[in-house]
Amino acid sequence: MDPVTCGSDGAKAVTAVNKRVLSFAAVCAVGTLTLAACGSSGGSGGSPKASGPVTLKLVAADYGDKASNSSTLYWNDLVKSFEAANPTIKVDVQVINWNDIDKQVKTMIQSGNMPDVLQTGGYADKVADNLLYPASDVLSPATQANVIDTFAKAGQVSGTQYGIPFVSSARAFFYNKAIFAQAGITTPPQTWDDVKADATLIKAKVPGVTPYALPLGPEEAQGESMMWELGNGGGVTDASGKYTLNSQANIDTFSWLKTNLVDPGLTYANPATTDRKTAFADFAAGKAAMLNGHPSLIQMSKDGKVDYGVAPIPGKNGALKSTLGVADWMMAFNKNGHKDQIKAFLDFAYSKENTEKFDETYNLMPVTKDTLADMTSSGKHADLAPFFALLPNASFYPLGDTSWDAVSAQIKQSIGTAVSGDPAKVLGDLQKKAQDAVANK
Amino acid sequence: MSQTSATPKAPGPGRGRPKPRRSGPGRFGPLPWIAPAILLIMVVVLWPVYEMVHTSFLRISTSGFVRGSAGLDKYRKLFGEPDLGHVLISTVIWTVAVVTLTMVLSLALAQLFNQEFPGRRLTRWALIAPWAASVLMTAIGFKWMLNQTAGVLNTAMTDLGLISGPQDWLGDPSTAWPWMMFVAIFVSLPFTTYTLLAGLQTIPGEVYEAARVDGASTWQTYLRITLPLLRPAFLVGVVINLINVFNSFPIIWGMTQGGPSSATATTTVFMYQLKDTDIGESAAMSVVNFALVVVMVLVFLKVSRWSEDEN
Repeated sequence: MDPVTCGSDGAKAVTAVNKRVLSFAAVCAVGTLTLAACGSSGGSGGSPKASGPVTLKLVAADYGDKASNSSTLYWNDLVKSFEAANPTIKVDVQVINWNDIDKQVKTMIQSGNMPDVLQTGGYADKVADNLLYPASDVLSPATQANVIDTFAKAGQVSGTQYGIPFVSSARAFFYNKAIFAQAGITTPPQTWDDVKADATLIKAKVPGVTPYALPLGPEEAQGESMMWELGNGGGVTDASGKYTLNSQANIDTFSWLKTNLVDPGLTYANPATTDRKTAFADFAAGKAAMLNGHPSLIQMSKDGKVDYGVAPIPGKNGALKSTLGVADWMMAFNKNGHKDQIKAFLDFAYSKENTEKFDETYNLMPVTKDTLADMTSSGKHADLAPFFALLPNASFYPLGDTSWDAVSAQIKQSIGTAVSGDPAKVLGDLQKKAQDAVANK
Repeated sequence: MSQTSATPKAPGPGRGRPKPRRSGPGRFGPLPWIAPAILLIMVVVLWPVYEMVHTSFLRISTSGFVRGSAGLDKYRKLFGEPDLGHVLISTVIWTVAVVTLTMVLSLALAQLFNQEFPGRRLTRWALIAPWAASVLMTAIGFKWMLNQTAGVLNTAMTDLGLISGPQDWLGDPSTAWPWMMFVAIFVSLPFTTYTLLAGLQTIPGEVYEAARVDGASTWQTYLRITLPLLRPAFLVGVVINLINVFNSFPIIWGMTQGGPSSATATTTVFMYQLKDTDIGESAAMSVVNFALVVVMVLVFLKVSRWSEDEN
């Protein structure tokens, strides 16, 4: 859904949905597809499952931004030690960059040439077409129990877990300490009214700075809007999983934003066309005083020599107890029938050493309990401490809803206009489209 | 259309029926020679059109799975879109405004470049620049020049006192449209001007001499001689610009992505926006778009040929 941003490059948060290009005529040649060869060449009459060498096809996203830190290196290392321990299983690794992975996976699915294991941004659409194994089929009970509960739950589609979280990220409130000091503000805001009061002070005393950066442009509008909705007890769905985009709480949220931040000029002039990368770049350049950010902003701020602070996200009546969590996913395809081999591989890949190595290489957040405990107590990740605390309480998009991809795309495109036009009408139109998307499943 | 133009040729050799049928490649008539062209047209024109229409009647999941027929549902959904109305209106205004202004400016430019003046060769070359550059590159270039915090055009206009402070031109539809039209005209001018210039050079000098002898004023000469004789070139310019501007995608996508929401989208951009949520509906929009272009061009050709008959 929302590939966890890696490194310091905000632009890399190109979302999976954006890239879903289905070309009618063009058949993308995926040159390196290797058919999973499931023969029993060396077997002496025994069941091929037990004795024959099986080749698993692993397709994964590239979290690196250059050849020297490409995820290919990580997966090749991991596969080498896995194959040494499991001589009957070979793993064929294919790492694809974020911009192309959705297109290429789509081509693989359409041509029936599916991977056995896929690590990418979203999983629910594949569940809708019955392509995946449930997590319990491909993870040992110990590995499954080790996944942080909120994330495991986010991997469920109608009660059954299919998506296996791989890495995660959480959102928190960032503020520029130098600008706050200049405006005479001592503590970060807790409530919406605090945000407004602080923003007004900053506008008066520190001209040329955007007091609160509100990016409701198509890049990440679904994230920013959900964080504000959570602050008013609203959200995208209700407890039963039905879309409630135009609930009174959500309408009130956008009315508040419109009258208190947008109209008085305490944020960008046109939030609906301002993307998150602009907001992040402004904050890292010291041109924005407050915003909701995620861990990659830490490195960006350091590079820009911005003295930043991290605090819980302000809500209407007090700081949020939970936050928006984002995860990237691992999933196992059932087409080739390599259930046992996939289980062996995933159990190996989810061992503490391997997950911790990956998280530390790319400065990402863990999804397993032992790795989280280790990274929290090791003292090596003081920067991430506020985020570690937030992880177990994270709220998620309705990732397990197979219509979420389409609904999320609608939200990205038009929710920003709720702070310039009529919130009730914009949200009402969105709700109608969401219901259409559900009905059309 | 291209296929129909090919079929009438087929009976050609048949007319010479008295001769006995020849053996060898000759008995296929012109077919072996035009077959590659027909094949090419089938593969690159007819097949995609078929796929487009076919897709618009399908239900396709976001993972790319075809889940069966949708009947006319996608068209119903498309025509129920609350944004479709203003997108269609925007498309008409966009097309008419850009094509009209381009033609008027090009007429003046072509007249200018038809005169003898020092440095004419150089300026004629310079005019090609916007045409030679990638349209997407030009659009993104203007997007950054108009950027609120770092844009050079914002800075220049502020320094010249034209505006009081940097503005977010492309964030607001009412200012984004004029800027996008400006860029669209900017990139359409070279082709149109060259087409008209070529037309101007075909007008024989004797006609002008005759007019001068008859004592026609400059303005009369232009209206009664230049414009009517320029008509073929002018029509080519209008038709090609109509199609180009109507289908123009890179300028709008590069500058605003049709946003906020679909407030700066034409039907082509709107089709691309729909793609994210529903491929079938997006294909339905493509079909409508395709029909609009065909109808527009047919109507235009018909209208222009009528007036030719009058003459």
